[in-house]
Amino acid sequence: MFKNYFKIAFRNLRKNRVYGSINVLGLALSMACCILIFTLVKYHLSFDNFHKNADRIYRFVTEQQRDQISYAPSVPPPFGKAFRTDYDFAEDVARIVTFRNALINIKERNEEKKFKETEGVSYAEPEFFNIFNFPLLQGDKKTALTEPNTAVITEHLAKKYFGTTDVINKTFRYENRDNFKITGVLKDIPSNTDLKSEIYLSWVSLIHSQNDWYTKDDAWGGISTELQCYALLKPNVSIAQVEKLLPAYVTKYRADSKNVHHYKLQPLADVHFDARYNGVMEKRNLWILSFIGLFLIITACVNFINLATAQALKRAKEVGIRKVLGSLRGQLFWQFIAETALITIMATVVAIGLSYLALPSVNEWFKTQMSIHIFSDILMITFLPLLALVVIFLAGSYPGLILSGFRPVSALKGKLSQQHIGGFNTRRTLIVTQFAISLMLIIGMIVITQQMRFAKKSDLGFNKDAIVMIPTGYDSASKATKALQNELAAIPGVQTVSQCSDAPSSQNMWATTIKFDTRTESELFRTSIKAGDDQYLKTFDMQLAAGRNIFPSDSVRELLVNQTLVKKLGLQSPEEALGKKIFFNGDISGTIAGVVKDFHDGSFHEDINATLITTYTDNYNDYAVKINMNKIKSVLPALEKKWNSFHPGKIYEYQFLDEQISEFYETEGMMLKLITAFSLIAIFIGCLGLYGLVSFMAAQKTKEIGIRKVLGSSVAEILWIFGKEFGSLITIAFVVAAPIAWWLMNSWLQDFKYRISIGIGVFVLAIAIILFIAMATVAYQSIKAAMANPVKSLRTE
Amino acid sequence: MIKITNLEKIYRTEEVETVALNKLSLEVKEGEFVAVMGPSGCGKSTLLNILGLLDDPDAGSFVFNGIEVAKFNERKRADLRKHNIGFVFQSFNLIDELTVFENVELPLIYTGVKSSDRKKRVEEVLDKVQIMHRRNHYPQQLSGGQQQRVAVARAVVNNPKLILADEPTGNLDSSNGNEVMQMLTDLNEQGTTIVMVTHSEHDSRYSHRIIRMLDGQTVLENIMV
Repeated sequence: MFKNYFKIAFRNLRKNRVYGSINVLGLALSMACCILIFTLVKYHLSFDNFHKNADRIYRFVTEQQRDQISYAPSVPPPFGKAFRTDYDFAEDVARIVTFRNALINIKERNEEKKFKETEGVSYAEPEFFNIFNFPLLQGDKKTALTEPNTAVITEHLAKKYFGTTDVINKTFRYENRDNFKITGVLKDIPSNTDLKSEIYLSWVSLIHSQNDWYTKDDAWGGISTELQCYALLKPNVSIAQVEKLLPAYVTKYRADSKNVHHYKLQPLADVHFDARYNGVMEKRNLWILSFIGLFLIITACVNFINLATAQALKRAKEVGIRKVLGSLRGQLFWQFIAETALITIMATVVAIGLSYLALPSVNEWFKTQMSIHIFSDILMITFLPLLALVVIFLAGSYPGLILSGFRPVSALKGKLSQQHIGGFNTRRTLIVTQFAISLMLIIGMIVITQQMRFAKKSDLGFNKDAIVMIPTGYDSASKATKALQNELAAIPGVQTVSQCSDAPSSQNMWATTIKFDTRTESELFRTSIKAGDDQYLKTFDMQLAAGRNIFPSDSVRELLVNQTLVKKLGLQSPEEALGKKIFFNGDISGTIAGVVKDFHDGSFHEDINATLITTYTDNYNDYAVKINMNKIKSVLPALEKKWNSFHPGKIYEYQFLDEQISEFYETEGMMLKLITAFSLIAIFIGCLGLYGLVSFMAAQKTKEIGIRKVLGSSVAEILWIFGKEFGSLITIAFVVAAPIAWWLMNSWLQDFKYRISIGIGVFVLAIAIILFIAMATVAYQSIKAAMANPVKSLRTE
Repeated sequence: MIKITNLEKIYRTEEVETVALNKLSLEVKEGEFVAVMGPSGCGKSTLLNILGLLDDPDAGSFVFNGIEVAKFNERKRADLRKHNIGFVFQSFNLIDELTVFENVELPLIYTGVKSSDRKKRVEEVLDKVQIMHRRNHYPQQLSGGQQQRVAVARAVVNNPKLILADEPTGNLDSSNGNEVMQMLTDLNEQGTTIVMVTHSEHDSRYSHRIIRMLDGQTVLENIMV
């Protein structure tokens, strides 16, 4: 029986090639998107799920309560050690401290090679490898990281550095400072982990380094996100059980602090997704993508239903004959399902091909290393047939029910009308659904674009253009850096050079609690401390609201504060702050010389922080170089040359500030690219359906058009028949889509503290785009129908 | 074989009510060849559709082979139809996407005949109607007469007890028409009951009995001698 079904289906497809192609292409496109979205969602959900005891692994994090709550994916450095000693809840507790952008030097046979590792190095306690499933190919995980200046590196790095994996006892130099002996080789780290370090250094080495703060037992005063603390809890230990006891540490070690810490356990499964704790992919985004995938499938199925029901009359005779010969309605229904299945199977094959083609681009957009394994990935093997089944029934059921329901007598005599095939209204509803989906996607695309442009073009309170950020080289003595600063400033085309911790807007933040002037209590709010010299204001073109710039100094003497800080201090005017003292970081203090106008110190997702800028030379990490863009070609090489002459053992790097700032919106940028791509595909699929429908409509109306023309109707009037039809459908779709899209995008915008408001222009633009595309799609068929010779069209009746 | 009593069929639209069969009673015995004649709209086709279990009557009784079938549901009707009744239409009604062989095979598929038996039976019947050489052609590649021979082959492949023919020669020239009528006569002589709707006096002469209809009722019966 099924052989017969497929035979008919295949011959029908061959006969109606355009119809078949539209269906296969539409379904294939949407299925390809679904495969890609599924791969992406699966990839993100797989993050760090490969550790043996992943369900018992937790990260300690901190909720910091000042005037507002802030979140840190870390705890004070001694926390891990204290927890390990004080309680018996965990099988293992491990701290790691990661420094990104590490400089690694390899010396072999008198040849020196330099490598910059963006993922950096991690100092790790030996227990780290008990908790996480990063197996050693060589070396013993129990002893590999117990001695000072020992390291384990991945197989991949071993090959990169030494050309072999046989690297035990070989050495490398880190930051031109410390030598490390390799005691173990790690199996390559999978891409689906947030623990991306490929170099692990022994924790004891940290004790003897300049970063020994991380190892001190009394460093309860602060938190650095460079340190992470993980625990593998014993079976049957609950989060609540542990968290109940953690406030004791606050009472014991931080009783006086205005920054009240709440230590929490974050399950490993949440680490990748919780944006509060720097999770890289919010689950919400995965949901949005999944819904878009569903939308696309619906759109393609709607096409299918539309075209199938439009074609239904052509199949009436066959249905009639089959019923006369004894076929039951159920059998006919399954016959049409089998036809849909054939089309869907063809579409699936095309979709697999398309998704393989598109994967490299998706990987590039998302900076991922995803791969698709159609035949070996058990989840994919389950997903694909399931997707195909959903499509088959979503697309095939309605036409199947309609077709199999024909009464044989009417079907054979050609007495079926539009009413029998679900009427034109059903197809109108479906087209409206499609347009509504496309419109929602377009509106989403426009709003995201506008918000991104707003973030890019808005006045940030400083000038981000033509500024090159160059790292100082961390081990440099301050005198050397001052000399280099002067030399850089002397390069023709360089306008100013400032030494600073970071730019006014930055993803790095050092925030602390301050004490103001003669007040006895610390302030409740947190203050971001930026290190910057007297050139900082000029380089970044920041404006003073009161007072003057700070004088040059090698230590903290004078401060600049922003207007938010003044406001949070409760002062009436900026002038009131001038000359007053601020104490921070224990015993450091300075006098307020000026108040700068507020500037965005983070992304538009965040409120402007209370900020102070001072000559805290310990934290000078960057040179900010303001250059004349007309001389960029000569300036950039000159900067590099000069820097290299001061740091011969290092690797020169630079980044333009505006690029750094646009990285704030990386996720939004990725989402925008995807939504744009999916909108285009949704529109394209919609157009395929529209084209199919208008062809059908033109054929249906041949007689009507002929008669109208004979009676004197003009081509324009005939075209209006089509225009009116599709225009009104789009209008209805717009009425449905606009409020939903407005609501969705408005809630998306709520994530931004500084945001656009969705104006009428967005909607006008969206409907204009859709109208234009719809017109372009239906134009050819409608004009052809309108121009047809009435004598001919009436004769065919 | 067929006994209908006081059969009624009324077609209703929103404004118009058309009585197609008006308390019609009729009997057809096994092995009979009956021709139904009458002007357009007299209810011939409606009668044929009801006899073929393609349509159900609004009132009255329809006994087929001793079983009352007027109230049968679709499943039972389809079951009875595919095992007992064959159809021949004026416009042949072959499925364009299937070959001659596949068209004739179709009723056997629906009655669940095994593939090997199907092949044998289809070939036998195609041989009988002398269209075997065209077995792999599609309907559009055949002449009208050839198409109707395929349709007859399809109607008889299941060895039905009853063949219903709706103007079987209406679309054929006289020589092809005569061929088809001869085929029906041969079938009837082998024991198949035939009810044929026709406008053609010539064709009606092949039958044993002519029933003349007007306005949904039988008005006259001629027994052919």
